[in-house]
Amino acid sequence: MAYTNKLALLALCSALFAAGPAMAKPGTADKGKEIYDKRCTWCHGDEGDGKGAAKDHLNPPPRDFTSGNYKIRSSDFEDLTPNDDDIFRMIRDGMPGTAMPGWSDILSEQDIWDLVAYVKKFASYEKPPAKQVDFGTQISSSAESIEKGKKLFEEGDRCVECHGKTGKGSASKRLKGEAGERTWPRNLTKPWTYRGSADPKDIFARISTGIAGTEMPSFADPKSKKKLSIEERWHVANYVASLAQTGKKVSADNTVVKADKVEGELPAATDDARWEKSAATTFYMVPQIIGKERYFLPSNDTMTVRAMYNDKAVAMLLEWDDRTRSTPGDDSAGKLADAPIEEDGAAVQLPVVIPSEMQKPYFGMGDAAHPVNIWHWKSGSKDAPETINMLNSKGFKEIEKRDAASAGLTAKSSYTDGTWRVLMVRPLTTGAADKDMQFVEGKFIPVAFAAWDGSNNSEKGSRHTMTTWYWLLLKPATGARPLVTALVVAALFAGGLLWWAGSAGSKAACWSLKETAPARRSTCAGA
Amino acid sequence: MNATPKRAIPRLLQMVLVILGAYFGFILLFDVLLGQLIPKSLLTMYMVFVVAGVVMVFTFTEEGAQELAGPIKALVEDPSRKMIRNVVFVIVPLLAGYYTYTSMLPSFEAPVELRTIHPAPPNKFKAYGKSYNLTTLENPYRKFEKEDPAKFKALVKEGGDVYIKNCQYCHGDKLDGKGPYASGLNPTPLNFQDVGTIAQLQESFLFWRIATGGPGLPAEAAPWISSMPVWQDFLTEDEIWKVILFLYNYTGRQPRSWSHE
Repeated sequence: MAYTNKLALLALCSALFAAGPAMAKPGTADKGKEIYDKRCTWCHGDEGDGKGAAKDHLNPPPRDFTSGNYKIRSSDFEDLTPNDDDIFRMIRDGMPGTAMPGWSDILSEQDIWDLVAYVKKFASYEKPPAKQVDFGTQISSSAESIEKGKKLFEEGDRCVECHGKTGKGSASKRLKGEAGERTWPRNLTKPWTYRGSADPKDIFARISTGIAGTEMPSFADPKSKKKLSIEERWHVANYVASLAQTGKKVSADNTVVKADKVEGELPAATDDARWEKSAATTFYMVPQIIGKERYFLPSNDTMTVRAMYNDKAVAMLLEWDDRTRSTPGDDSAGKLADAPIEEDGAAVQLPVVIPSEMQKPYFGMGDAAHPVNIWHWKSGSKDAPETINMLNSKGFKEIEKRDAASAGLTAKSSYTDGTWRVLMVRPLTTGAADKDMQFVEGKFIPVAFAAWDGSNNSEKGSRHTMTTWYWLLLKPATGARPLVTALVVAALFAGGLLWWAGSAGSKAACWSLKETAPARRSTCAGA
Repeated sequence: MNATPKRAIPRLLQMVLVILGAYFGFILLFDVLLGQLIPKSLLTMYMVFVVAGVVMVFTFTEEGAQELAGPIKALVEDPSRKMIRNVVFVIVPLLAGYYTYTSMLPSFEAPVELRTIHPAPPNKFKAYGKSYNLTTLENPYRKFEKEDPAKFKALVKEGGDVYIKNCQYCHGDKLDGKGPYASGLNPTPLNFQDVGTIAQLQESFLFWRIATGGPGLPAEAAPWISSMPVWQDFLTEDEIWKVILFLYNYTGRQPRSWSHE
């Protein structure tokens, strides 16, 4: 089987040599330059060196074509030359999780082939690669294959060394890119950030070629101590693809955090089993780019929120992935990140008063007429425990710090395998209605969230990620009313029908007469 | 007495078919042909009129009314239909109960928020510590498009740099409103490629929107949720005018102006 495959591949390769890339239409570099100068130069620079105007504000930075490194390619690990098709695909479809969009809606296929021809010239790539990734025979995903893949993933820390035991990229090693910049391993549980798609075939190619310009090595290299056979690479690819199925994906329709009412005590811990059953809502986080100082290089892109309440208090569980536990003053944290390390953090923002109409406070910390109340948790340093602070603000500048304890606000956190969970609990009502939201069940309450990763560019203060306004709803216990009303309505209908049938009973006699004695039917006239 | 003609389709069924026909007709017309989902409340209102009208037509004459009611009466009264009657008597109360139950369950859908995307601009606004008159405000660089094309090209390029450094994160490399952070924003960033956006506006309107940002919007446009920064805090007047040149140049659109209207 494998032998015939190799033969087929050999045939394909020789065909490629003879006729150039089979699928690629030849592009014209001069035409490509025209398009490049209009569309691409802004980020990739006139010289193709990635030094466009936005270079310092993009993570990952724009590709430097002169380096010759192409992250997403299907040529053999030993040959850095990309296939035309690899470049074509990246231009056409874009790269998820980066600022590179797909261009197929405004560029024609020929335009893209012209660009391919031009872009290759920056690294003087003239000939197609000599060898291709050997895909062998794809092993389709199965529980057995995933299990084998998991073993290989963990064996000798093969992948775990950088991607962490749960694949979230929780760092145990400091990584850098080709220009010496600090880079982070992919969080494999977030498929929407896979630059070259989360298809097992693409994952297989990345494992086989490595990722040029990064510390991701090739596992097809026979000299590597951690090398994997073709078959093994398929198992790992299937395992990695299975990690991506986490349900952490944002659903655009789901904009409401729905808190269920519980009888008795609220969960007192972040790992209370009841959270598993609680409906989760995930929001995109974006860096704070509205007020000074604008922040551009975030490490986190989502937050998942769950909530519950009882007749006394409301509990919110914030959960987000963070590759590092940032502890100022801690040596092991210092090895992973650039100084200074700041505390990790998370915040919940609520209006002080539930708006009765559409108008809400300005989502960036409120406005003069509509203040907001913010619960700000910080992870603590080597010498100090975690803290929960409370502030009321009327915009970025007018901030009043308050004592969280005065409102009965508490917070508790846990950090495991690259995920923070923070539980915040506050009584439904407080003594200060002019400063604290007084929770009411059944009302849609605007809510927004923020997070800080103290190991990523020393996030602190205005440098953080955030959401816009979404909703929190304390779901009123439905009670028995709908069911009781429905039963009453059904009973009324049934009763009405029976009464009708009963009153028609006498007339029914006429119907039988119709059959037996049509002559006497006249007595039933008017029936 | 027995003048009721035999019909291929009983009159009751005819009536039901006409009503169903009207119902699906509305859905076909609005949802499919016009591509505009018909709101449930509107459909309910239409159907009330349709049902009332159809019932009136069908019961216009006494014979018509009797013929219509005939099968229903027969169902209740005719002993030979006992079986069907029993089935109907179980199903109807159950349906009524189910409908009541579902309509009484509270809905947890997020409230709909309507906002004006292009609000009417004010005549005057304040930015950079001075007052601007929107009716007379013009892009000081627009004239170079004809007078000095080389200079104009350089200005567009400068505007492009301002755009890429500041605006593309939300409005996108392609100016299509799909920048890397667009999906995290609500309302989503404006798509400048769309014919319904900058092509319908004057450059002075853009200047107003950029300089005063989200918080500068009038109340009907919901300034409290707009993520548009207040650009007078970050950019100079010149930079805003240049970025406006770039927006039109890149999308191949022309601003509206008083002189052409």
